[in-house]
Amino acid sequence: MTRRSCTARSSEGAGMYKMLVIGFSAGGVPLIKRIVQALPRNYPLAVAVVAHLPEGHESTLAQLLDGIAQLPVSTAKDKDVIVPGLVYLAPPDYHLLVEKNRTHAPSFALSVDGPVKSVRPSIDVLFESAAEAFEGDLIAVLLSGANSDGAAGMAYVKQLGGLSIVQDPLESEFSTMPNAVIQRVKVDYVANIEEIISLLLSVCEVR
Amino acid sequence: MPLVKWKNHNIEDVEVDLMLCALKLRYGYDFTGYARASMKRRLMELSRYFDVKHLSELLSAMLYDEAVAQTVINCISVPTSEFFRDGLVWETVRTCVLPQLDSFPWINIWQIGCGRGEETYTLAILLHEAGLLKKTRIFTSDINPAFLQDARDGCWSRRRMAGWRESYLNSGGRGNFDSYFEVRGEEVAIRDEFKKVIEFIQHNLVEDDVFKEVQFVVCRNVLIYFGDVLQGKVLKLLARSLERGGFLLLGRAEKIFELHEKYPELEGIDDASQLYRKVIGRGGHV
Repeated sequence: MTRRSCTARSSEGAGMYKMLVIGFSAGGVPLIKRIVQALPRNYPLAVAVVAHLPEGHESTLAQLLDGIAQLPVSTAKDKDVIVPGLVYLAPPDYHLLVEKNRTHAPSFALSVDGPVKSVRPSIDVLFESAAEAFEGDLIAVLLSGANSDGAAGMAYVKQLGGLSIVQDPLESEFSTMPNAVIQRVKVDYVANIEEIISLLLSVCEVR
Repeated sequence: MPLVKWKNHNIEDVEVDLMLCALKLRYGYDFTGYARASMKRRLMELSRYFDVKHLSELLSAMLYDEAVAQTVINCISVPTSEFFRDGLVWETVRTCVLPQLDSFPWINIWQIGCGRGEETYTLAILLHEAGLLKKTRIFTSDINPAFLQDARDGCWSRRRMAGWRESYLNSGGRGNFDSYFEVRGEEVAIRDEFKKVIEFIQHNLVEDDVFKEVQFVVCRNVLIYFGDVLQGKVLKLLARSLERGGFLLLGRAEKIFELHEKYPELEGIDDASQLYRKVIGRGGHV
């Protein structure tokens, strides 16, 4: 695992992460299965996932993950309040956004605005809106993929103080997406899938 | 009071508020109740289009130049729709809704957010195939007259036909989809017979009230752009617009929270397509 910069939380910030966002496209399904399987029942973060999948396969991913996960998995609905310990998937053909909300806790929002980087849902759209809502309390993970969606979003996560993790391109089935991020952002961790999982789990240990 | 440094994204939120306030005061377009995350994305997109560093630099141009304001309004209310988007939803309409509508002597449908007409004509095609078009009036509404005109024209690029044809088949369509259009060079135009039953109406869900009692309200992917409060208000309006026994169709990923508590006049019919019905009987709720 390459630690690209030292942002590991100092003691006062440790354990304060509130949200985990994950994006992937081609080659990512086996990886998200492993991650979701590894997250324990009492996982303290809300998890939101954007996947680019071939048309018609999107809705089966929620079922697939729900069957193997210890946490409840569902497709995000518009205005869903973001609850820790739940896994949300972007609904097929909608962008998934995080709404900051001035008077209450962040919630999800959806849009059918045009594709971003020629995809909908777009990882950039989720990452950027989540970064604004959660700033330093956010962890963003980008996995295997064959386009450059997610790079701009990851840059913004990093800029607003979130923890940025990218799958090692050498370990990715499709390295375009991880490479696009690494070229653009000095991410906190470039890691293989086992290391990514242990990073995500270490969040609970510090509590 | 000491002035505190803010992160840029929080300052941008103030700029978004200022833009919306200006649009409301100067032009009467009230977007202040809209959901902010996607509104902000659209406005930030606009600041790149106009090549300004900060969104608020557009304020004076927008206040003094109607053309700039029109661009902003078009960008904020930009329609996206397709023929038979979400095929399975339209299959539900075919099998669940249309046979029920047939029991009415005269059918009125209100479709909200006309886009460029794709969804309006989708409805017209469905009614035609069910043999109901002749006794139907479709009212399609939008806040933006420019989109109503586009929808009235009913022309689209030919390249989009392949995808739409596939969605049509997914919806259980058994007719010849292409036969509903005329090819005009690189464009296709919907046949006039489908236009005859449609009225194009400028209507603003934020300010205007029910304009007609109908048996079917189609309001897909409009409410996602509204904040909680506005969403609740508009849902009440939609429920009021429905005749008892009438249907309400929302977008596939939209959902009415606290349905029983807040909207006792509605009952869920199909969760996957977000289809609701206004209860018959049980007076006094509406």
